[in-house]
Amino acid sequence: MTNSNMTCEEFDAALPDYLEGTLDESLRAAVQKHLSECVRCASLARDLEKIRKDAAALPDMAPSRDLWQGIEARIAAPVIPLAARPERQRRFAPAWMGVAAAALIVSTAGITYVLTARSLDRSSPRVAVVPAATQTRGDSDSSTAEPSAPQTAAEVGKGNSRQAPAVSRVVKAEPTGRDAIDARFAAQDQEHSEYVYGKEIEKLQQIMATRKTQLDSSTVAIIERNLQIIDAAIAQSKAALARDPRSRLLSGQLTHALDKKVELLRTVALLPAST
Amino acid sequence: MAAVSNAVRVAMGDSADVALAAAGDRLAFERLYRMHANRVFSICARMSGSRVKGEELTQDVFVRTWEKLPQFRGESAFSTWLHRLAVNVVLNARKTEGKLASRTEQSDVEDDRRDEMARAPLHIERMDLAAAISKLPEGARKIFVLHDVEGYKHEEIAEMMGITSGGSKAQLHRARLLLREALER
Repeated sequence: MTNSNMTCEEFDAALPDYLEGTLDESLRAAVQKHLSECVRCASLARDLEKIRKDAAALPDMAPSRDLWQGIEARIAAPVIPLAARPERQRRFAPAWMGVAAAALIVSTAGITYVLTARSLDRSSPRVAVVPAATQTRGDSDSSTAEPSAPQTAAEVGKGNSRQAPAVSRVVKAEPTGRDAIDARFAAQDQEHSEYVYGKEIEKLQQIMATRKTQLDSSTVAIIERNLQIIDAAIAQSKAALARDPRSRLLSGQLTHALDKKVELLRTVALLPAST
Repeated sequence: MAAVSNAVRVAMGDSADVALAAAGDRLAFERLYRMHANRVFSICARMSGSRVKGEELTQDVFVRTWEKLPQFRGESAFSTWLHRLAVNVVLNARKTEGKLASRTEQSDVEDDRRDEMARAPLHIERMDLAAAISKLPEGARKIFVLHDVEGYKHEEIAEMMGITSGGSKAQLHRARLLLREALER
């Protein structure tokens, strides 16, 4: 074989490497010369190159059905270990694991309390619980007696504070000034929530500080980058809330961002140490 | 403010959901599934040459991902790790092929019909190429999909399949020649 007179058989042998781009310069020149002279080989090379390009551009396919249900059912099945854990793994329970576990319990309890309290508060109308009319008013069944007019907690409280209520009943609060009351409640609620989250995040950050040395540096870098992003979202939410303190949407977004931070810190607290 | 939450998710990519899913959060894992299902299914269906097998293998891949996720160290992108895991699941599925065949045998006709339906919206050339790939012999098909569709190098394919890189090159060339022949008909 010479560079100037490559046969079709020689071309066929060189073609895979030519398409890969791995031929040396002289052989590549011979192939290109042959391609310029041979219609059959030029067509072959053109077709194979097109197949390669078309294959690389094939779009993603979609399954004919949603496969998640089947996956979820399989991953939800309990996994029962068939053998006892090796001794090395059983010993893997350093002191920080206990500290992390305790912190997570406190964190979960605190945040659950706040979220539950807020949920209950939002799910029911704002009401005032006042003492029911007593037997001195002559009612035979005070629990079913309808008041003649709406009463505010303040009005009922006047002069009635010493009377022991037979039955409590619920009276809707006056709508007057409700916006102001809501705003005050919302602000107090948000402050309390942020305080609880702040305390828990502080505890988890202390755990994370001690764990940093046990984790891979690239993992720590990713975690810190994500924490910065979440902190930016928290700052944006707080700034927006300062402008519109009654917005439940903004409040929810701040809670979501704080939740994300707590989740990420909890994950870090329980990450296995790098080996 | 919803935009803030979305922006956070986009900026963080998969990493937050990967961390959460590794800690056992199934909602986070479902988000990962939704994000990557089509890509994984494409690998599985093309390598196996069947949409039905591809769907079964896709489920296997995500179950395996759930099991292996705590071992993911973030040394590569999650998607790279996931796609490699998908390839390994498909390659290892050969060991249980008999079992798989019995499950898919009865639905061959349905499989063909689904194939036609799924390819219908695509360009005519792509439809032909996809069909021709599924008709390739198993070894040549897997190597063609891994190299020309998924972009793996011959050395990587050789390592995954337990063959030489020269063998991978030869099979790839054979696959391309067979596809040319099929597309010329």
